[in-house]
Amino acid sequence: MPLINLPAFAGDLLADFERMGTLRVDTPVIQPAEPFLDMAGEDLRRRIFMTQSETGKSLCLRPEFTIPVCRRHIETATGTPQRYAYLGEVFRQRREGSSEFYQAGIEDLGEPDTARADARAIGDAMQVLANRLPGRRLKVTLGDQSVFEAVIAACGLPGGWQKRLIHAFGDPKQLEKLLAELADPKSAGVFGHEVERLAITGMLEDEDRLVAHIGQIMETTGYSTNASRSPRDIARRLKEKMELANTRLDKATLAVMREFLTLDLPLADAPAALFRFAAKSGLKIEAALSLFDGRVAALARAGADIDLIRYRAAFGRPLDYYTGLVFEIEIEGMAAVLAGGGRFDRLLTLLGAREHIPAVGFSLWLDRIEQAVAAAGGAK
Amino acid sequence: MTVTIALPSKGRMKDDASAIFERAGMKIVAVGNDRSYRGRVEGWDDVEIAFLSASEISREIGSGSVDFGVTGEDLVREGLADADARVEFCARLGFGHADVVVAVPEIWYDVDTMADLGDVAADFRARHGRRLAIATKYWRLTQQFFSGSHGIQLYRIVESLGATEGAPASGSADIIVDITSTGSTLKANHLKILSDGVILRSEACLVRARKAAHAGDPVVDRIVAAVRAAL
Repeated sequence: MPLINLPAFAGDLLADFERMGTLRVDTPVIQPAEPFLDMAGEDLRRRIFMTQSETGKSLCLRPEFTIPVCRRHIETATGTPQRYAYLGEVFRQRREGSSEFYQAGIEDLGEPDTARADARAIGDAMQVLANRLPGRRLKVTLGDQSVFEAVIAACGLPGGWQKRLIHAFGDPKQLEKLLAELADPKSAGVFGHEVERLAITGMLEDEDRLVAHIGQIMETTGYSTNASRSPRDIARRLKEKMELANTRLDKATLAVMREFLTLDLPLADAPAALFRFAAKSGLKIEAALSLFDGRVAALARAGADIDLIRYRAAFGRPLDYYTGLVFEIEIEGMAAVLAGGGRFDRLLTLLGAREHIPAVGFSLWLDRIEQAVAAAGGAK
Repeated sequence: MTVTIALPSKGRMKDDASAIFERAGMKIVAVGNDRSYRGRVEGWDDVEIAFLSASEISREIGSGSVDFGVTGEDLVREGLADADARVEFCARLGFGHADVVVAVPEIWYDVDTMADLGDVAADFRARHGRRLAIATKYWRLTQQFFSGSHGIQLYRIVESLGATEGAPASGSADIIVDITSTGSTLKANHLKILSDGVILRSEACLVRARKAAHAGDPVVDRIVAAVRAAL
């Protein structure tokens, strides 16, 4: 029986999904909370509705579909490739709008041709929006974390700094803070007295001796039995930290990174512009760029209207399971994201899948699409 | 209007609070016997005293069911979302000092700042198959400090209602967020405070619930003025 508060276009949307060759799945509204908190971080706790089972297990109302759909895929041991579609209610505490609303979307799991899968995700999202909002001009923003990763690797930054910057990608404030620090390190890192003493005894140069020393102290202080960081973890990170402290980026390299982050242009022009940028600044990033180029070509082959898509180099999501493509779709004249998607190749392994399963998907904000449809109706 | 002031019901906090009110010319007497949970102020007929536990006080101020309270800033900021919009910290009373701090095992030679901790948290999952675990009873303060001030998202909070300092050694968490006044318990448990790891320097405060009815109420202003003058 259809629910009475379903958006009027839900049936048409599901018909679109079926034509696109997807398998419709549903997931329970009540979900274990752990996977969401584990993947998205503690911040999510304030934004989801949590409760406990009688046995003390943390449960929550489904805040989104990607994690439940992926967990269902793993549990049912379904083979790949497999494309799932969903439509249902999600529950989140929001500043504005109702805290229960409908989302729908497609998750494409296990397609080895990533360019083709990426293009299909963007193309499908554009298609279903265009079907709901005929005559309205879509605005698609596309970003790609793997290009950013290639740029900073090619800039010759030490591993610790690369990790920091990648982690901040998609969070402009944090990224700018890190770049400012790289340009002008305020201090050579903060090191405790103990580390100074170790430096004098020459122990910092000899990893094995340092590991033994740390292990011995952990033994005497009762820290050796726990499953936290091992003596070798600590010794290695200490070395990495000394590298971090000694890194200063020269002005030219910093200018190259800043220039990259300001790139914002029509997608059709982006591959050529990126190749020009790489050649001019002497960065060896051809591998990442040819993947990027391949995706643009696949989009054109899939018949998507590329003129509606812009590439913004700094656009990303600061979640560690997003790995490459991210995109968002709005319509002209309305400041709300109607669809968001991206590639999350790391998620299924994190959720417990035995083999690596590449994945890409998108979800639609049906309440906002309803508003857009209503606004269009009113204008007629 | 009768103004209700919530005071700690026992211990040092109760004695210190009573002493300040007495110096402010507001001698507090229990209604009925000494153990009573209600009191009044000699010569202030329009003021009532409610003796409550410290954590109850922050909740009652938040809901506006009392007008004033004396309690730790840490409990107010932990207990109430958007604390500054809902309450006013009228006076810092100079007792009940405690810092809410981020502390890690001393042996983590490579971790002395929140930036270091962010690095460790970022690839903790890849190395250990789980997120960095923080033992604390300060969920809100931890989240605000880690995500809001330092952009650190990837950690899990393990609720700890007592003996938090023992959690890293016992293996139930990796690090802690807890209060400390002298640091001696941290030291005894081989923990160190990060150089930029002080989340809040807390002490007992006179806290007012922001209520519309307080505007222009002379008693409200007199209480604040009297307590401030006694400091």
